[in-house]
Amino acid sequence: MRRWMLVAVLAGGATTFSVAVRSQEGISGGNTQNGASTQQPNRQPSYSNMTPQQRAAATRAFLGLGPEPDKAAAARGAPLYIQSCSFCHGPQARGATAPGLITSDEVLGDDHGEHLLLFLRKGRPEKGMPSFATMTDGQLTDISEFLHQQVEDVANRGAYHVLNILVGNEEKGRAYVQANCMSCHRTETFAHVGSKFRSPDQLQRSWIWPSQSDNAVTATVKMPDGSVLSGRVQEVSDFRITLIDSAGQTHSIDRGPGVGVELKDPLAPHQAMIMTLKNDDMHNVTAYLETLK
Amino acid sequence: MKLVHVLCGAVVLAGFGAPAFSAPDVNLDPQSVGAPPIAAWPTFNGDYTGQRFSTLTQINTSNVYQIAAQWVYKITDVGAQRGAPVPVIKCTPILVDGVIYITIPDHVWALDARSAKELWRYDWVDHGGHLVGQRGVGVWKTNVYFLTPDNWLIALNANTGKELWRKNYADARKQYFSTSAPLIVKNHVIVGVGGDAMDMPGFLDSFDPETGALQWIWWSTPRKGDSALKTWPKESVSEHGGGMTWMPGTYDPQLNLLYWPTGNTNPVFAGQGRPGANLWTESVVALDLDTGKLKWYFQVSPHDTHDFDNTTAPILFDRVVDGKPRKLVAQAARNGFFLTLDRVTGKHLVVKPYVPLDYTSGLSPEGEPIPIPDKDPSVGGSINILNASNWPAPSYDPQTGLVYVNSTEGKAIYYLTDDSAKPSGYGGTGTGIGRTTRVLQAIDPLTGGAVWKHVYPNLNSASTTVGPSILTTASGLLITGDDQKNVIIYSADNGQILWHLQVTENESGGIITYMLDGKQWILFGAGDSLYAYSLPR
Repeated sequence: MRRWMLVAVLAGGATTFSVAVRSQEGISGGNTQNGASTQQPNRQPSYSNMTPQQRAAATRAFLGLGPEPDKAAAARGAPLYIQSCSFCHGPQARGATAPGLITSDEVLGDDHGEHLLLFLRKGRPEKGMPSFATMTDGQLTDISEFLHQQVEDVANRGAYHVLNILVGNEEKGRAYVQANCMSCHRTETFAHVGSKFRSPDQLQRSWIWPSQSDNAVTATVKMPDGSVLSGRVQEVSDFRITLIDSAGQTHSIDRGPGVGVELKDPLAPHQAMIMTLKNDDMHNVTAYLETLK
Repeated sequence: MKLVHVLCGAVVLAGFGAPAFSAPDVNLDPQSVGAPPIAAWPTFNGDYTGQRFSTLTQINTSNVYQIAAQWVYKITDVGAQRGAPVPVIKCTPILVDGVIYITIPDHVWALDARSAKELWRYDWVDHGGHLVGQRGVGVWKTNVYFLTPDNWLIALNANTGKELWRKNYADARKQYFSTSAPLIVKNHVIVGVGGDAMDMPGFLDSFDPETGALQWIWWSTPRKGDSALKTWPKESVSEHGGGMTWMPGTYDPQLNLLYWPTGNTNPVFAGQGRPGANLWTESVVALDLDTGKLKWYFQVSPHDTHDFDNTTAPILFDRVVDGKPRKLVAQAARNGFFLTLDRVTGKHLVVKPYVPLDYTSGLSPEGEPIPIPDKDPSVGGSINILNASNWPAPSYDPQTGLVYVNSTEGKAIYYLTDDSAKPSGYGGTGTGIGRTTRVLQAIDPLTGGAVWKHVYPNLNSASTTVGPSILTTASGLLITGDDQKNVIIYSADNGQILWHLQVTENESGGIITYMLDGKQWILFGAGDSLYAYSLPR
């Protein structure tokens, strides 16, 4: 149970995060402006701020996936696997004429080759799988790590990457922007927008749903005595509203009888767009904006 | 709100000459389960219907403002677990013979219902599995049953917590994990399983409550010789097709049928390697209690590619429709459709969206939503709805005739991250976009339309599971909460807020009610604490 010792060490450290897709719990909503209502205290970097390596490690611990495959060994094992195994088991070990290996007991019951080496040396002659006893232990270990890497690539969704999302048509995207965006925005809004984000999917996300800090919801609150408070909303529920006025003062107001609350959301047109946006239009606009370096 | 610690009070009330504390004497007659729960809450849903409706009326619309916390039990000595820095009570508490059983992953507590004194505690050291939640125990005679993250069914003595036997039913290395509460019916312990990281098939097991012997197994995807295989490209794909059974189902004693919701298809977001409807994932299935044989199915999300994970409770109720008495089952599905079916035949009466959605082109002749392929996850991204509901329990009130559900309205961009011909695992990802609105809905199950809605104001997008289960009572109360730590009691007929209280965390599990010593109690978990409310003495 060495596998579990390792996971326990990981778990003891820092797993205060919310996986992009928590099995059984679904995807969280898109607006995390204040982060105030998360159920778990967020002392650690949030999932979206983690490096890819941190994400993969955190997800591996959360899912109980066991030790990390040795990437260098897996890379050495790749050509060996392709040469000796892929014809029957498929290039990614997902099955071809012979079964897929990534869900097999032999692979999943192994950590770093300690069981697989014995198995590969023998083969399974009764089912037509030859012995690989002519390979060195180092080579068989590398093949084992390659198989573990195939499992990791599938099972650790914290290590997933979006592909090249730039699939749209720039010209159609420009036309969409001209037709739909210019009643609120000016051409300058989009100047150099293609160089402001670290990846096209960040760009896509950000033009559809821009930064909350630049687009705060404001409220006008009419108090029972007739006075009026207004400002930027920090929190609102059925029972209380907290806002910061123009002088920087915070007001927390119980929404009792006679208290009127009017909210103004500058992103309401974007929310309306999200509810009806077509995939083609989304792809086209992203492709167009990406050209505005 | 004043907290009255009644630990001493309970001793006084026990009477002169009586022992200060009597040992627990739990012994649940399996024949008694299924009746409306009054002095007990012996199953996940209280009874077998899934209605989560209580006939109790002591706490009512005119005195509810007086209720006060009588005790709070806080879990103080369990540290961070994998993926969970603090304990979160996601179980529905079980109450039998004055003993409350609560769980988190790897841990069970038995508490004295009068004082919250800990009677015993059982700790498990897991070797794998996913610690995302634990829904509670099952009780049979003097036994308690508990499922561990790494898929052990553990039988404990209900009075001492001593382990009687254990049985492993799934391999955690294949990413099977367990969070469910076992459903106990007659001499069957029905156990469902979770786990969709590695393309394994779902199943439902039935075990003997005395010995743990396997009585039957039902696989949620078809095997060789089954006509349902035509909904898969080939058997080897069906054998890796998912359809987990991780929430407790419901049961009709007259028909002797279990109603079980089945989870998402695998691979999760990448459907290109599994053309077809992919039965019986994403369905409500009716199974014979004694054999596990499939009687009928209704597939809510044919060829799911959005992790619509159809695990919300199928609620059983009877109604007169067009002059005829009908036995019905309703579900506010995670894919955004509300359905009402005839639970004898599985034929649909109502299939209708209850959140704004545009990913279907209509219904099949069987009433099943037809997905639009362009809405599938894609390399460039595809916009679709977030899960409209989730595992927190809905409720049906036979007096109003309405189904109540906390729903989520919002969108996500779904990306295909594996565009190969043979994807595996999740094969994609989703990221929420825009505002997410949580809406409490009162839905007429005979029309699928909302009679009233309550939109919870909030600037922050909630996770689809924040915001708790629902309980309704015969005195017209609807008890639930928002995602800003407020416990809220509504008038069930019109949605008016009657009472609220902010606690330290969001309500996180099931809400139960029961009579104890002549008083009605309301019990719920929020974060690491269990709260017990009643009218003041």
